[in-house]
Amino acid sequence: MQSFEQVVDWLATALAVLGGVVLLAAAVVVCVSVTGRALPGVPSMVGDFELVEMAAAIAVFSFLPRCQLSAGQVSVDVLTEQMPRGVHAAFGLLGHLLLTAVSAVLLWRMWLGFGEKFPFGSETARALLGLGQPPYFTETTYELLIPVWIAHAACLPGAILLVPAGAVAVLRAGRAMGEART
Amino acid sequence: MTGLALAGAGFGLMLMAIFLRVPIAAAMGITGFLGTWVVLGTPNAVLSQLKTLPYDTFASYSLVIVPMFLLMGNIATRSGLSATLFQAAADMAGHRRGGLAMASVAACAGFGAVCGSSLATASTMGQVALPEMRRRGYSGSLSTGVLAAGGTLGILIPPSIILVIYAVLTEQNIVKLFAAALIPGLLAALGYVITVIVYVQISPKAAARGPRQPWHVRWPSLLRTWPVVLIFGLVMGGIVGDWDWTREGTQALFTPTEGAAFGLLATLLHGVTLGGLGVKDIAKAIEESAVATGFIFLVLLGAQLFNTFLAYTQAPRDLAEMILATGWAPMWIIIAMLATYLILGCVMDSLSMILLTLPIFFPIIEGLDTGLTPEQTALWFGVLTLIVVEVGLITPPVGLNLFIVNRLAKDVPITQTYRGVAPFVLSDLIRVGLILALPMIAVWLPGLIG
Repeated sequence: MQSFEQVVDWLATALAVLGGVVLLAAAVVVCVSVTGRALPGVPSMVGDFELVEMAAAIAVFSFLPRCQLSAGQVSVDVLTEQMPRGVHAAFGLLGHLLLTAVSAVLLWRMWLGFGEKFPFGSETARALLGLGQPPYFTETTYELLIPVWIAHAACLPGAILLVPAGAVAVLRAGRAMGEART
Repeated sequence: MTGLALAGAGFGLMLMAIFLRVPIAAAMGITGFLGTWVVLGTPNAVLSQLKTLPYDTFASYSLVIVPMFLLMGNIATRSGLSATLFQAAADMAGHRRGGLAMASVAACAGFGAVCGSSLATASTMGQVALPEMRRRGYSGSLSTGVLAAGGTLGILIPPSIILVIYAVLTEQNIVKLFAAALIPGLLAALGYVITVIVYVQISPKAAARGPRQPWHVRWPSLLRTWPVVLIFGLVMGGIVGDWDWTREGTQALFTPTEGAAFGLLATLLHGVTLGGLGVKDIAKAIEESAVATGFIFLVLLGAQLFNTFLAYTQAPRDLAEMILATGWAPMWIIIAMLATYLILGCVMDSLSMILLTLPIFFPIIEGLDTGLTPEQTALWFGVLTLIVVEVGLITPPVGLNLFIVNRLAKDVPITQTYRGVAPFVLSDLIRVGLILALPMIAVWLPGLIG
């Protein structure tokens, strides 16, 4: 199980760094747009707003697994710390189980949401992947006409990795409980 | 069951889960989901909302400021800006009794001007200033106390992540909120310096004097802080300032999001050119920002679900009507809310507290007759909230700043840090009282922005 943890951990870090690069790219887009606006005679940039919004969502999703693995999801420990160590650890395990369940539900719903935006794939392929009916038309952004499924797809790696990241946190909490007993 | 009772039950359930170590985001999200299910009799509405709610919540032009400012602060942390700031302040004040503690406050304030997070400020300034103070014989309680308190300047002095969230939740103008927080933030720094002066008057053994630095040392040292001055000037000046006097009203150079983007790139540019930042450092800074961002946004998503539930029960509106109908004095209602934050702050982090309470508190605030305009009241309450939730960071048992700084000083027991920070908490409370009595401290500056 050690290697599973290491793989998930490595992936989470790599994805977080990628998300950071996306965020920096968004900052560059904004700065180019502002500079262009300030210079006379330069046509103003269209759609920077849309790009930044997409980048924001992609970056945040890419950050979530790293946060989960670094115990970044804050919980309140003052009360359970007064209880026996085993009980304290058991509540930690319960919390991580619930958080992992939440991540799984999120992934399930977001996958369906993605299916409602994603127009491609044969009927059998879509049925196999659980993507549901394809949309009647491909929804795009307002100014740049970028299909929104692209942004939703780019958020999926983070949402997918969040589930094994939760599992790793559950494993660790389980180990902490084992240690508390001895 | 009435809506109010249902909301109360949901709130109780959520608090119970939170106190039993369930991560706050999960506790809010799950109770919100189940609560809406109970109100509507079916889970389908939330389930279908959940298909796009996460994306729609995160894809926000305003909220992208949060990861940008976090990354900016984490990059600044790694490019030696904190050491430069502390050196300059120490050269100016080091010869006074407690001078290094005052210098810590000033350096924290300076760092807070480019960093929107208290924890990052406390930890980076702690690494720089703590060894120096300990080496010069400053007591463990004063040196850790002043740094834990000084760390809160990271958030009290704009840019501030909590203010961005407050602005988005209450649909207030971020620019005006930043402007409103500026003078109270400077007052906070001033209050901490005064606290140090009084502290060393009462216990002179707590601090020592250093040699007085001549001006030919001071000037170069001060001038080396130019990156901070430039970045803060660019970000806050660009967001709040008036750049075109020929035109009516305030013509800002850019929006807060644009300011954050510029600040982030400027900090990065300084880091890689002069700050000695390598690719590895940048990756580390991103990783740290990822942890903080992930927490903030998942809690935000959980709060969205919980607020959907609250809205369906109509409890916030009913409760606001009930409380406003009692005719209690607005001042006492506000004080009661601030006291709630102080108490909650002992066990909970600032952001979760604000997300939990604001949907209930804010409709009441909107209905209060404070003698100010509704916008001024919102700004005033925002600044007050910001201060009291930050007090939670420096009050035991879970004041995170206390632990961060205390961990850096291995020979100082945590009880000494508790004792050392107490006078600074007092100074915070005095400031809250001052701003309560004189709302102008907060609302005057934003009033100048047209």
